Amino acid sequence: MTPLFNLLAAQAEVPEVIDRIPSGFSYFVIPFTVGIVFFLCWIGVGCVRLLRAVPRTDRLRLWKSLFIPKTAAKNIKELFCDCLFHVKIWQRKPLLGYMHSAIAFGWFMIIILGHIEVALFVPARLNVTRGGLFYPIFYRYFVWMNPGHTTLRGAFFFFLMDFFLLYILSGIALAVFKRFRSIVLGMRHTTKPSFADRVSLYSLWMIFPLRLLAESFTADLSGGSFLTIPVNQFWHFLFGDKLWFMPCWWAYSICLGLFFAAMPFSRYMHILTEVLWILLRNAGIKPNHPRKGVAEAEIYACSSCGLCLDACPMNVQKKNLKFSSVYFIRFLRRHNEKKINAIADKCLMCDKCHALCPVGVDAPALRRAQRATVNNSLPYDYSYLGSVVSKDTVRTAKDTGAAAELRPYSAAAKRGWTRPGSDGCPEGMVSEPIQPYSSIPEVLYFAGCMTHLTPRIIKSVEKVFEAAGVEYAFADRDGGICCGRPLMLAGKTDAAAATIAVNKKMIQESGCSTLVLSCPICFKVFKEEYHLEGIKVVHYTQFINELIASGRLKVEKTDRKMVYHDPCELGRGCGVYLEPRAALSQVGTLVKASKEYDESICCGGSLGSLTLDTHDRTKISEASLDSLLVGKPETIVTACPLCLKTFSEAVSNAKYLTETVQVKDFAEVVCEH
Amino acid sequence: MKNNILIIGGGPAGLEASAQLQRMGYNVILIERSAKLGGHLAKWDRLFPDRVPADEVLGGLLRAAEGVKCFTDTDIRAINRLEKSYNVRLTNGITVLSDAVLVASGFDLFNAVRKEEYGYGIYNQVMTNADLEAYFKTGNDKRIENPKKIGFVHCVGSRDEKSGCRSCSKVCCATAVKQAIEIKQAFPQAEVFCFYMDLRLFGRHYEDLYLEAQKEYGVRFIRGRVAEVSENYDGTLLVKAEDTVASKPLKVTLDLLVLMSGMRPSASVKELGEHLGMMVEEDGYFSVRSGISAGQRSPQPGIFLAGAATGPKTLPETLADARAAAMEIERYLTEIFPDARNYKQLVKERW
Amino acid sequence: MVDFGFGLVPSSRINLDLFDKEKYEELAAMEPDVRICMACGSCTAVCTAGKFVPTSLREAIEAIKNANSEKALQMLESCQLCGKCSMVCPRGINTRHLILSITKVYSKK
Repeated sequence: MTPLFNLLAAQAEVPEVIDRIPSGFSYFVIPFTVGIVFFLCWIGVGCVRLLRAVPRTDRLRLWKSLFIPKTAAKNIKELFCDCLFHVKIWQRKPLLGYMHSAIAFGWFMIIILGHIEVALFVPARLNVTRGGLFYPIFYRYFVWMNPGHTTLRGAFFFFLMDFFLLYILSGIALAVFKRFRSIVLGMRHTTKPSFADRVSLYSLWMIFPLRLLAESFTADLSGGSFLTIPVNQFWHFLFGDKLWFMPCWWAYSICLGLFFAAMPFSRYMHILTEVLWILLRNAGIKPNHPRKGVAEAEIYACSSCGLCLDACPMNVQKKNLKFSSVYFIRFLRRHNEKKINAIADKCLMCDKCHALCPVGVDAPALRRAQRATVNNSLPYDYSYLGSVVSKDTVRTAKDTGAAAELRPYSAAAKRGWTRPGSDGCPEGMVSEPIQPYSSIPEVLYFAGCMTHLTPRIIKSVEKVFEAAGVEYAFADRDGGICCGRPLMLAGKTDAAAATIAVNKKMIQESGCSTLVLSCPICFKVFKEEYHLEGIKVVHYTQFINELIASGRLKVEKTDRKMVYHDPCELGRGCGVYLEPRAALSQVGTLVKASKEYDESICCGGSLGSLTLDTHDRTKISEASLDSLLVGKPETIVTACPLCLKTFSEAVSNAKYLTETVQVKDFAEVVCEH
Repeated sequence: MKNNILIIGGGPAGLEASAQLQRMGYNVILIERSAKLGGHLAKWDRLFPDRVPADEVLGGLLRAAEGVKCFTDTDIRAINRLEKSYNVRLTNGITVLSDAVLVASGFDLFNAVRKEEYGYGIYNQVMTNADLEAYFKTGNDKRIENPKKIGFVHCVGSRDEKSGCRSCSKVCCATAVKQAIEIKQAFPQAEVFCFYMDLRLFGRHYEDLYLEAQKEYGVRFIRGRVAEVSENYDGTLLVKAEDTVASKPLKVTLDLLVLMSGMRPSASVKELGEHLGMMVEEDGYFSVRSGISAGQRSPQPGIFLAGAATGPKTLPETLADARAAAMEIERYLTEIFPDARNYKQLVKERW
Repeated sequence: MVDFGFGLVPSSRINLDLFDKEKYEELAAMEPDVRICMACGSCTAVCTAGKFVPTSLREAIEAIKNANSEKALQMLESCQLCGKCSMVCPRGINTRHLILSITKVYSKK
């Protein structure tokens, strides 16, 4: 049979395409139509419910944000780059990015082009009542090529359709292969699909080969291009003139129908919900409950892609896979309270899953919200904080010895501390001499709870300050109040707010202009939650880097090989990656770790987890160490007291380490030079 | 023909065992990794509970071991197991064909730098029990200049999951009480505090030592583990603990803090274990054939163990262990070893 | 038995017969390491809140075992969850989780 499309005669008044079936309907479209109508209803109702659950103020914000040029531009950029092209995945794992974008972008293009084809060639059919819903999908069945009247434009469209179909098929092939050898695409662990997931997945896989078959079988009648025509000829070669194209179109329609019907119950809802989630997120609306309101958009935006499985540091041990973000979200959807709580309490809050998520789902924040539903209502009594007097708790660098506080303890009196002090203090008071500070310091140094257990940091920081001639006050030399972030991480948001209020008052009344923190956890909360007007909040790595850069601190460079570990709260938490490295390069040679910057592996000592035991944490530390030691450094440099302690213990207790590696703090290393 | 016996480790266990085996008529070769014999005993001043001078005991051990071939600064290069014997190549070039091997590799002290919250190596006025013992021997340490308030911290690196050692080191409580008395003798006006979790004074005369410390020397024993130490501006230490008996957190300013570093398996265990194919338990010490009835035999025929290589021990226990090991070796070399034909059978029955 | 009248004032003795085993087992199911506390006092010594107001996990555990759960809750109500106690516990107990668990189990009516 001669390929008809080779004849390029074009006559304007003769239609290029013949609308073959006058009624515009054939029974096989029913499965698809049922499926898609169901799906559209579901998503329509879902959207409405969701937006109604969002508080009114947030809804207004969302509406307004659509018109702010900057946000609108960001929305459009993200919709294209993340939803269609999956740029975030391409950046980290190209083959995987190709796979996802092939299916997403390819299918998107096929749908758009299908509609354009209908608009161009049989515009009457765009009307919904005349088959507009299914015409663009089953175009090639309903029309015939008018032999002898094909145009370049027609051929071009056929070419495009075939091209994108091939593109999708290559993605599908990779997807099937991924089920067997996922490591080739860069994923060590993949998500275990639920039943609805499987239905959707298998029908999705089948859709495109069936489309190829169906379109190929009708290609000699309704035209095709470089893909469908050869396949058509191949089938003719195999089966002669008997081509079963009706069964193929039926199968194609059924698969489509199944896919759309199962979609609301499977992971593929993300295709549409992530659009809504991106709009909400860019409007700055955050969920404050793990399930209701905005969270629902976030939860359904998760595509179950499983990239968080490899990201999570706990998954060094296979038994911890079930605590990953993807399963957390799955159980949230199913309202499985027990499992949700178990997963929420385990998380280290290292934020790596959030950083690597292609849709930007903030699962740690959802976990914190979940913890809050349980822990925020627990009783607590912070009345003692209210009686802490502000001015006298700050001391200058010139102070000697004893603390300087005088506070009434009503709570203490309640519990029996009513013995008067030997120096004649009234009952209910615990006394120590008052020593008001003499001058207002330029810099206030807040060590934080953890740093007191790693005194090397304090000593080194004070030495650096003295060497650089910084006038500073040590806010909690004798111990202070916690910064409040551990309470936030545990979900006790009210208690955290109380602590923050007290600390904020004290710091503001100290009159300093810069607040230096040595612990990244403190740094993050002081930066984001305290809203300290007029005070510059810096981490000590940034501060010391500035001191070196401005020449106030002189250091010597040696060729000491060091590797820097990005702490979770400093790197992913606050975006500080370059300053510590800049400072360290002035002091020695930095080697690379196998995973750094926002992919750096948590040390395992994080306060975020409520239920991880020491054995599991040790395994995480060992994995993190392995990543750091690839460049064979002499020293591991940390910028966090918890990381310092965890790595020191891991290095000492590790039985398999052959060479000795030192673990040093950032300030310590600077001091040594 | 006299059997050759290789003894690895020249500490008290190795010396005592070699003296006994030599007396029994065997040909003993003793190797010691460091430059001097005596192990940790050579670094101590006086021994608990009766405060006998350590050099006397060491001198006795060395005299008894006279005539034994001792190689210091020597380690094992390679060992091959032949049918019954061990062909050992030493780092000094000598090869020994030994019929039995006694491992007396001893222990190492926990490196207190690892317990960062106590500030050893960070603050000036913090020292360990080993440093203090050296001070008593030599009389000078720049940290000790008429201290008025001195604290002892028990269980540093022992009974502590965070330092990687769950078990008790046995001897540190008695050492702490002894050193508390000794430092009070050196500085009678000082106040001495001992911060403990439990006081393990199990041996003969140990309880008397405790009574003496309290009665004659006024040492204050506080039940509560020191959890954090910071430094005041004048260099004195601010120590935080809880007085668990009174149920209140406590702090005190001290001029000197002594950390009781515990016992750890010797660093040589890994290498030796590999050379000899010996098993090591989770706590890092060598396995024995049976903890109660065969504590000097390793699970492998021909390899014996004595001293702190199998777990923390006091000095008298170490010496008794060494003598028991000598007996076991003698029994092995007379009953099992000579019978070439039934060797395997005998090992199965009697090892 | 004649009730002589020495019941004038409530006894200040600890009465172990009043120990609530069921609640304790519930707590131990959530956090099994509550059983291995050896009362060394490290947690109390480093406590951030303990500097200002009596706060002690060791004492809370002891109070629970001595059938005094109100005291236990009192001893923990000022906790700031800072984590210093977890860092120093020699038995490796996850003290923060234990504190949250005690509060959850014993504050239920």
